[in-house]
Amino acid sequence: MQDGIPDEVGMTAQTFGDGVSQSELWHELMQFYINEAWLLDDRKFREWLDLFADDVFYFMPRRLNVGRQDLSREISEEGDLAIFEDDKTYMTMRVDRLDTGMAWSEDPPSRTRHLVGNLVIEPLPEGDLKAKTAFILYRSHHETDENIFAGSREDHLRKEDGRWKIYKRIIVLDANVILAKNLSVFF
Amino acid sequence: MAVSNKKYNVIDLKTGKLDSRIFSDPDIYREELEKVFGRTWLMIGHESLVPKVNDFFHTYMGEDRVILTRDGKGKLHAFLNMCRHRGNPIVRTDVGNTKNFFCPYHGWTYSNDGSLEYVPGEEEAYYGAVDRDSRSLIAARVETYAGIVFANWDSGAPSLEEYLGDARWCLDVAFNRLDAGTEAIGPVKWIEPLNWKTAVDNCSDNYHVPTTHLSAILVQARHFGLPRLTHEAQFESPSKHLFINGHSLTMRMLDRPDQARQTHGVTQENRSLFEEYYRSTLAEAERRLGSVRAGKLQLGNHSIFPNGVLGLRLAHPRGPLETEFWHFVVLEKGMPDELKRALRMGSGNYNGVAGLFEQDDMDNWRGVSRSSLTPLAQKYSQDLSMGVGRAGSDPDFPGTVAERYTSENNQRSFYRRWEEFMNAESWEDISIEPGTADFEGTATMNG
Repeated sequence: MQDGIPDEVGMTAQTFGDGVSQSELWHELMQFYINEAWLLDDRKFREWLDLFADDVFYFMPRRLNVGRQDLSREISEEGDLAIFEDDKTYMTMRVDRLDTGMAWSEDPPSRTRHLVGNLVIEPLPEGDLKAKTAFILYRSHHETDENIFAGSREDHLRKEDGRWKIYKRIIVLDANVILAKNLSVFF
Repeated sequence: MAVSNKKYNVIDLKTGKLDSRIFSDPDIYREELEKVFGRTWLMIGHESLVPKVNDFFHTYMGEDRVILTRDGKGKLHAFLNMCRHRGNPIVRTDVGNTKNFFCPYHGWTYSNDGSLEYVPGEEEAYYGAVDRDSRSLIAARVETYAGIVFANWDSGAPSLEEYLGDARWCLDVAFNRLDAGTEAIGPVKWIEPLNWKTAVDNCSDNYHVPTTHLSAILVQARHFGLPRLTHEAQFESPSKHLFINGHSLTMRMLDRPDQARQTHGVTQENRSLFEEYYRSTLAEAERRLGSVRAGKLQLGNHSIFPNGVLGLRLAHPRGPLETEFWHFVVLEKGMPDELKRALRMGSGNYNGVAGLFEQDDMDNWRGVSRSSLTPLAQKYSQDLSMGVGRAGSDPDFPGTVAERYTSENNQRSFYRRWEEFMNAESWEDISIEPGTADFEGTATMNG
C-alpha cells in the first residue's frame, strides 16, 4: 500500500513514463472522474462534453442473461444493437437537445448523483491510459420516479493540449431488462 | 360502456370518444390477455436469432414465457416455458444452444422438439405410470413472414398470411425487398410505466411528432441537415394512413426510386451511399415487388396488431400499467456494413430506451394510460375525433385510407379492432378483410 492505494491498481511506475509515479497518475485520474461526476450532477453538460475527444466512441452494450457456459455472449458486441452507440455528433445532439426548452424527458430535469470509484489504471501505447471505474447513478425525476443504475465504465484516454480526453467509453450496466422509463441521463 | 356483461363498447366511431378505463382496469387487462393475446398472431422473434440447429431464444407471448427453438432438424417451435410437472420455467436465460431443456427443480428433461424425454424415477417412484406423451411442452402454432417469427395459441385462428392480409402489401416494402432477406439485432429491453395499448396507438399518431419530438427534430435538422418536420408539412403531406385487419400503416411517397428510405441514421454525409445502395438493388426489388412498391413507396410508422410497434418492436403487457418494451432493428442482410452501422446507430439513438425521440414519449404515454385512475377523471372520455368520417377507399392503396396523413382514424380503428376481439366468443366472430391489393412481383410470405 502507498497513499492508501493498493499496489495492484496500476502497473509499475516506469511504464507510465515521464517520471510520473503511479500514485500521482492515479490521483490525477481520480480527480478527473470526481470532476466529471460533479459536472454531470451540476448539469454542466457542455463542460462534460468537452471531456471527450472529437473521435469518441461512447458505447453501452446490451447485457444478456446467459448461462455460465455462454458467458462469452453476455456482453453484446459492436455490430449488435446497443443501448448507446454514439459518436461525438450524437453526444452533442443529446446535449444540444436539452437547450431547446422542449426536451420533455429532461424538462423538468432529472436530479442525479453519480458516485464513481474503484479506479484501476493501465498504460496503453503512446502514453494513453485505460481507466476502469465502477459507478452508481441515482436518478430522481418528477415527483416520485427513481432509478438506480450500477455498472462499470472502461475509458481510453489520451492527453490533448495537456488535458485528458476520453476517446472511448464502454459502459456496462448491471442489468438485463432496464428498470427505467428512459435513459435521458448521462453515464 | 357495459363492462358488467362483458360487452365492450369503448370507442364511438362517430364522436371519437374513448373510454379510458381500458388502460387501467385489472379485470379488462386479465380478459385481454386471453381474448387478444390468446388469439392473435404475435411476433416473437426472427429466424436470425436462432440461426443454428438447437439454438433457442427466450421470448414472450403476452405475459407468458415462451421458448423459440430450432430443433435438430432445423424446424422452428414455440413452447410455453413451463415444466409439465409443477409449472416451473425450464429456461432461465435469454439465449443458448441445447438439444435438451432440463427443469432445475426435479430434473424432468425435454427435447427441443417439445417431447418429454426423461423423468427421474420414472420406474421406481412413479411405478412406470407417467404418460410422457401427454406431457410434452405446450406448443403454439408458428409461422414466419420474411424471417419474422409469429406464434399463435389459437387453433381456430386463420393463417398468418390471412391475418396480415393486405397489410403485407405495405410491410413488404420494408421487410421483403430482397432475395437475401433480413436479420434482426437486439433487443434492448426496458420497462415502461404505461398500458401496452398506448404504445401501440401512438404508432398511428403522426399528430404528436412535431410537438413531442420537437427537440429531437431541431437537433436532427441542425446536425444532419435534414428538413425540419412541422405540423404544416404533415397536414399537407401526400403520405397515406391506412388501416387493414387491425394493422396500422403509413406509406410515404418517394421522390426518386433511389431515395434513402430510412429517416433514422441518414445524414448528409452518408446519403449518397444510401442512394447508391437503393440504385444497385432496385432491379431486384422491382422483380420481387413490382415498380410501385419497389421505387415509389416507403413504409413509415406502423403497428401490427396487437402489440407490434414500428416493425419488430414489441410492447409486452406486464399488468394494466406496465409494459416491457423490446426494441429490435431489422436490417437487410446484404447491406454494406457502413450503412448497417448508420441504421443501427440511427435506430438506437432515435428510438429505444435512450433514443432522442422515444425518451420524450414516455411521460406522455404514461399520462394517457393513467388518466383513467381516478373516479373523477374517468368520467371524461378521451378524444379521438380528428378526421371522423374522413376515411374511405383509395384506388391506389388497400384497406381504409384516411384523407390526410394526420388523422385519428387508425387509432379509432385500433380500439374498434380490440373491441372486436374482446367481444368475440371465438375466431368465428372475428372479421378478416377480403384482400384487394395487387401483389405485383415474385415475393411471397417467405421467399
